[in-house]
Amino acid sequence: MFLVFALITLLGALAMFRQRNVVVAGLCMVLTFFGVAGLFVLLANPVAAALQIIVYSGAIMVLVLFVIMLLNSHEEEPAQSGRLVQAWGGALLAAVLGVGAVKLVLQSRTLHELGASPVPAPITLNKLGVQIFSEHLVAFEVVGLLLLAAMIAAVSIAKRKL
Amino acid sequence: MDSFARLLHLSPPLAWMALKLLIVIGGVMGIAAVLTWVERRGAAMMQDRIGPNRAGVKGITLLGLVQLAADGIKFFLKEDVVPPHGNRLLFTLAPALAFVPAMLGFAVIPFGQSFSSGGQAYHLSLLDPGNGMGMLYPLAIGSMAVYGILVASWSSNNKWAILGGMRSGANMVSYELGMSLAVISIFMAAGNSPVGSPVTLEAYDPHRIVEAQEGLWFAVRQPLGFLVFFTCMFAETNRLPFDFAEGESEIVAGFHTEYSSMKFALLQLSEYIHIVTASALLVTLYLGGWRIPFVPNPGVLLSVAAFLAKLLFLCWVFVWVRWTIPRFRYDQLMFLGWKVMLPLSMANLLLQAWLMHGRGIA
Amino acid sequence: MGVIVKKVELGWLDRTYVWPVAKGMAITFGHFIRQLLTPTARRFTIQYPDMKREVAPGYRGLHELKRFEGGAIKCVACFMCAEACPARCITIEAEEFGDLNAHQGFEEKRPKVFRIDMLRCIYCGMCEEACPKDAIWLRNDYEVADYDRLSLNFGKWDLMNTYASADGKAVITQDPTPAVPRRTIAV
Repeated sequence: MFLVFALITLLGALAMFRQRNVVVAGLCMVLTFFGVAGLFVLLANPVAAALQIIVYSGAIMVLVLFVIMLLNSHEEEPAQSGRLVQAWGGALLAAVLGVGAVKLVLQSRTLHELGASPVPAPITLNKLGVQIFSEHLVAFEVVGLLLLAAMIAAVSIAKRKL
Repeated sequence: MDSFARLLHLSPPLAWMALKLLIVIGGVMGIAAVLTWVERRGAAMMQDRIGPNRAGVKGITLLGLVQLAADGIKFFLKEDVVPPHGNRLLFTLAPALAFVPAMLGFAVIPFGQSFSSGGQAYHLSLLDPGNGMGMLYPLAIGSMAVYGILVASWSSNNKWAILGGMRSGANMVSYELGMSLAVISIFMAAGNSPVGSPVTLEAYDPHRIVEAQEGLWFAVRQPLGFLVFFTCMFAETNRLPFDFAEGESEIVAGFHTEYSSMKFALLQLSEYIHIVTASALLVTLYLGGWRIPFVPNPGVLLSVAAFLAKLLFLCWVFVWVRWTIPRFRYDQLMFLGWKVMLPLSMANLLLQAWLMHGRGIA
Repeated sequence: MGVIVKKVELGWLDRTYVWPVAKGMAITFGHFIRQLLTPTARRFTIQYPDMKREVAPGYRGLHELKRFEGGAIKCVACFMCAEACPARCITIEAEEFGDLNAHQGFEEKRPKVFRIDMLRCIYCGMCEEACPKDAIWLRNDYEVADYDRLSLNFGKWDLMNTYASADGKAVITQDPTPAVPRRTIAV
């Protein structure tokens, strides 16, 4: 199961990069989100999975696609020149970073502890709510304030004549 | 009944699952198919007409139901046109994208009373309670429904189609907010119900929600939330008065302008399946699910019948509303969604919270 | 011409939108129930091939060439109808026949060919107005349709028998008296 969802995620992401067409790339991203949601379910966190689909695939990607379709520039123009150095340099950098990340994860102590511990009980909305309003209350409030500020800013930018 | 119970005990859980799958898929598809007939005959009746009653085999028309078969055959035999400059792959994929979420949403709906036989509990919903997703699942799947329309409209390479898709996308995203907030107040009420139901179920589990409606239905306890959710369901299913995706008088046929043959049939069918799923959600959340008023323990068959009756009635209400209310203007739609539905929904949430606080249930 | 449009001020009940919707729903529901309970025969819709509309008196439908009791055609081939026809759809060729029984040796005129092109006819009834003998009537049959154009070019016998079954009369295909060859009267 893990392999299936991981493959969906990775293939979706890869297809998104390889895709010339912006709208199709956006749809590939939705596919990736679905893969991630599946991984969340496997990690005994169905709430996160549901929220992932509702918020990211259901709302944010719709808006992104919306804007893309409105902008009406669906085809990415092919690059003018090859830029070989940048391409190979980027690939090399990505490879080094990837190897480093995998090595870090493999060496971390929590991974070994995770293997030994039993499967945790699924996280539910109740637990999530309790957590947010007790342990992470300050962070929650700060995020709320930040979002409020962003909302006011967006309204004031969009509406010149208040 | 005994032989049925023995069969149930002997057969593996997979068979029980398959049976439920068969019931749900067959039932939903059947209701959706009949709903096309109800829509046409119902529309005719409301406009003092007769409606389709001519198609028949050797004079047997079954009140016009044979028309369904005639339509199906017609759709199979028609030419399947794909617009030349659209995206062929997405164009083919879009009906499936519209159809699958419409079907999937039904998975957690309990369509009858759970019963236990031979020390084993059987639940009449595809996903057993306690799966952790609960009512979030239909909401998540419902939010995916917009992709079918968006993809269909974009891949058609047609300006009317893209207009319809844009409208529908904006429509669905805006009404999802009001709908979700209305549902949250349901979660609150279900979680704090004084009935004392088994605590193993989460507050947002549909079985728990139905349990919580043993006394009064949520439609009675939260009339405001019911109104908001009901309206948002019309917006989510793209039905009149919110059918901006189609808007025949303005943009030809909207997102399915370029569709023909079975692809069109699939898009059309998915709209009706959306209606069935939306009705099921409404029944479960607000109209007591499979409960019958004043009958505390209706039993399996009766409860399924009650659920079906409510479901069919709501489906008919969808048709009824369609032939009563004219389509909104687009700015009216946005006004209603953001400035009426969302505040109403929030007010409902606060009101319920305040009431609960007043009753001392924390 | 300028028209002053008075803006209707809605009451608060109407502005909630819920109440007007409820009223509208009640109306459609009433229609639904009423239509559901009305027997088919009393509904507004006339389900055409099974039920037919009673045509009004004076309706101008398919033509009939009238005949006498003996089966002789009333038409005297005077060409008035062909002249009056605005669509020019009537074709007549005359012939003579000896009407020995009725008029003692007179020779009379009658149409040898009387054709109406039904695809051209506009059912205006001018032929009926023009006819001095009341020999052509436009009656109540409005189902003039066929699969090809030629069969809608109605001839004399078609026109004489258009209402034969409706009136319970015999279908005739032959004049009761033979035609006589045309003679030139020397002056």
